[in-house]
Amino acid sequence: MSTAPVVGAAPIEFVRASRWYGPVIALNDVTATVPPGVTGLLGPNGAGKSTFLKLAAGQFAPSQGEVRLLGRPAWGSPEVFHRVGFCPEPDAFWENLTGLQFLAGLLRLSGFEEAECRERALAALDTVALADAKDRKLGGYSKGMRQRAKIAQAIAHDPDVLLLDEPVSGLDPVNRRRVIDLVKKLGREGKTILVSSHILHEVEALTRRVLLIHNGRVLAEGDIREIRDLLDEHPHTVTLRSREPRALARAFVDAPHILTMSFAPDGEWLTVQTAKPDEFYGVLADHAIEAGVTEMYSPDEDLESVFKYLVAR
Amino acid sequence: MPVYEQTYRRYEAREPLRTVRFWPITREALRLLLSRWAFLGLVVLCWLPFLGFAIYLWAMTQFAQVPEGMLSALPRGGAVFALYFKWQLPLCLLLTTFGGAGLVANDLRTGAILVYLSRPLTRRDYVIGKLCVLMALNLAVTLAPGLLLYGVACALAPAQFVTLELAWLGPAVALHALLLSLSLSLAALAVSALSKSGRVAGLAFFGLMIGLDIVQGIVGVIAHWTPAILMSVQACINAVGEALLGSPPEDALHWIWPALALVAVWAASLLVLRTRVRAVEIVR
Repeated sequence: MSTAPVVGAAPIEFVRASRWYGPVIALNDVTATVPPGVTGLLGPNGAGKSTFLKLAAGQFAPSQGEVRLLGRPAWGSPEVFHRVGFCPEPDAFWENLTGLQFLAGLLRLSGFEEAECRERALAALDTVALADAKDRKLGGYSKGMRQRAKIAQAIAHDPDVLLLDEPVSGLDPVNRRRVIDLVKKLGREGKTILVSSHILHEVEALTRRVLLIHNGRVLAEGDIREIRDLLDEHPHTVTLRSREPRALARAFVDAPHILTMSFAPDGEWLTVQTAKPDEFYGVLADHAIEAGVTEMYSPDEDLESVFKYLVAR
Repeated sequence: MPVYEQTYRRYEAREPLRTVRFWPITREALRLLLSRWAFLGLVVLCWLPFLGFAIYLWAMTQFAQVPEGMLSALPRGGAVFALYFKWQLPLCLLLTTFGGAGLVANDLRTGAILVYLSRPLTRRDYVIGKLCVLMALNLAVTLAPGLLLYGVACALAPAQFVTLELAWLGPAVALHALLLSLSLSLAALAVSALSKSGRVAGLAFFGLMIGLDIVQGIVGVIAHWTPAILMSVQACINAVGEALLGSPPEDALHWIWPALALVAVWAASLLVLRTRVRAVEIVR
């Protein structure tokens, strides 16, 4: 069967698609279209983002309805996956392989010849700034390096559609910036990229087009700014792992937008609550390197409150 | 409004698909297994029965003064190979346990299956790729030494083995090796798919095989109930093997019943694999 896309078809299309696991409905009667460019799939944990992505990636069959990828049914059309890259959330696989072996092995599965596999693997590792670590085992990679290796495997075969499940989760600010820039660049090249996240500010840095998903339903889609305005009413929580969390806290202490700060007992983690996330991230960017920030998470309670607000409307 | 690059981009992926899509899975898994010295040692250990039987055949043909009573007690013709495979079976069981326990279980645990299934592969390709790993290992210690042993037998005792009546012996040896390898490989893969831990899967597979064999032995001895051999996969393999190799059967049960039991094991294994090999939610 040809792997060429069906002319005029949307890259990703859900038509009244539902998916349930036993009695649990993970996705409920979803109709949505994802156009070329970057689209953020936004929702709190358990909203159905991963199920949405896995249905789009043809990993599950929809229990009801239809999911189409490049104009073909996503489920049961393996030939279409020559043109699709998928970056799943878990990152603990193939720990005994080096970065280069990992990518080359997966490229072989896509049908490339041996020499081309190596060439493409090296190019993809270079794109995600892992060329120097190509001969190190994945087991020895840091969280950020693993995340980038996963992105490299998704882009190595130059796909037209990219499905990225929480690609910047847990990355330090430098790597976060790097991944965001890469995704934006790929989006500008005309690729269709669907990025899931539970953090509004992450998605905002990537794109203005979002699909909001909550309790298995698409709650809203469109421009992120409208949703963004709603967030101003809610404090935003960020947890940081840093070599010097107290020095970092000193940098924030005078900022008027900081509401609370607390340290974890192990002395490495700092949790900050801010009323103005943009200003907070600006200050953080100035101090992240000197304070040795290695990981950053944002719990989704703040987003949850926005969803509650939207549902109530 | 964002403006996307609209220039022509060359489509570079493969079209049509590679016909042997599962091969990279098999190759990579074999490479990883055989890079472990302990596992290589186990493969070498699995060749010891061949060595023993080759020496036995050589001794039988070299020393004419072997007491007649001893000669008549030793197996001849197809029975030599039936006995060889009987000795080989426990070693194959070990090899399959160590080689196959984590094949699917680890992919389910780590989520690697998500990456496999995001490639131009079907679930069937994935299962065939993993099955070929175990088939290759088992055939390397059953088919290869079995045929080599047949060659040794023909070379050392042509009068005994190169006869028209025993012309089926070579294909029968190959068929028995295939039957043994397929039965163990499918069962091991199915048990591996039932767990998310390679260790648990290994213990479960080995325990199930040995446990059922012990139960079959006890029931057979105490109750003298011939169909008890249907409880043990190994006993079924041996019974069908004896029938294939023309060796006098140990049990009075017709070989068709153990053969049907093995087909049932294959079907059940395939059903488990069909149900379990799918994308998973990773909950941490």
